[in-house]
Amino acid sequence: MGDDRSRILELLAAGKITADEAARLLDALESGCGQSDDPETAAKSGAKGGSTALPKFIHVKVDSVKGDKINVKIPLSLVRAGIRLTSLIPKQAADQINKSMAEKGMSFDLSSLKPEDPEEFIEALRQMEINVDAVNGDVIRVYAA
Amino acid sequence: MKCPPYAVSVRVADDERRRVRLWLPLFLLWPLLPLLLLLMLIVSLLVDVASAASGRRSGYTRLMLGCLRVAGEIKGTEVFVQARSHNNRTVGLRVR
Repeated sequence: MGDDRSRILELLAAGKITADEAARLLDALESGCGQSDDPETAAKSGAKGGSTALPKFIHVKVDSVKGDKINVKIPLSLVRAGIRLTSLIPKQAADQINKSMAEKGMSFDLSSLKPEDPEEFIEALRQMEINVDAVNGDVIRVYAA
Repeated sequence: MKCPPYAVSVRVADDERRRVRLWLPLFLLWPLLPLLLLLMLIVSLLVDVASAASGRRSGYTRLMLGCLRVAGEIKGTEVFVQARSHNNRTVGLRVR
């Protein structure tokens, strides 16, 4: 247990995991939840909300090399409600929206979204983790927690 | 369907010199919500009936209810922007 804690703190100091992930992982260690032997791997799964907790938010974090920071936290339930909303749009309005989007260069058919799609999409979002390290030093992270 | 947000807090700070904190008590508007919802429901039902009478199928009432559901799910949204390159301006928005 002490070695795991030291390893977690080393990863945090090295910048390989964030403070949030380290806190979650330490909480998981204290509660005795089953974790993988590798704290770094466990940190990645811990960032997804632990072994049993379902993620409730999508986090978008941008750290610019110029020092600018952007943090956005969006409830997953909002994403689900928004996707379901597209299936409720009347056909006449949907056709006009599709036409406007096509004129802007986005060819996407709103009517192609089916009611069962949101659950699959939400499930995929829960497993998603995007890390972008730009050449200029900007860091972008998108994950569900 | 969840309750709509009860407050929105906005914080803007400029280089720690100017600070603006705004707390919007949206719950004060809740007593007006039933009347507003009733009016919107009447309009959407009239539109749906008129569309059905003309042989077209619409669903503006369902769309309105879907919008209300989306409005209720906004709770918990947080946006934080720190722009060091622009007078170290910090903008925070939280929907409760």
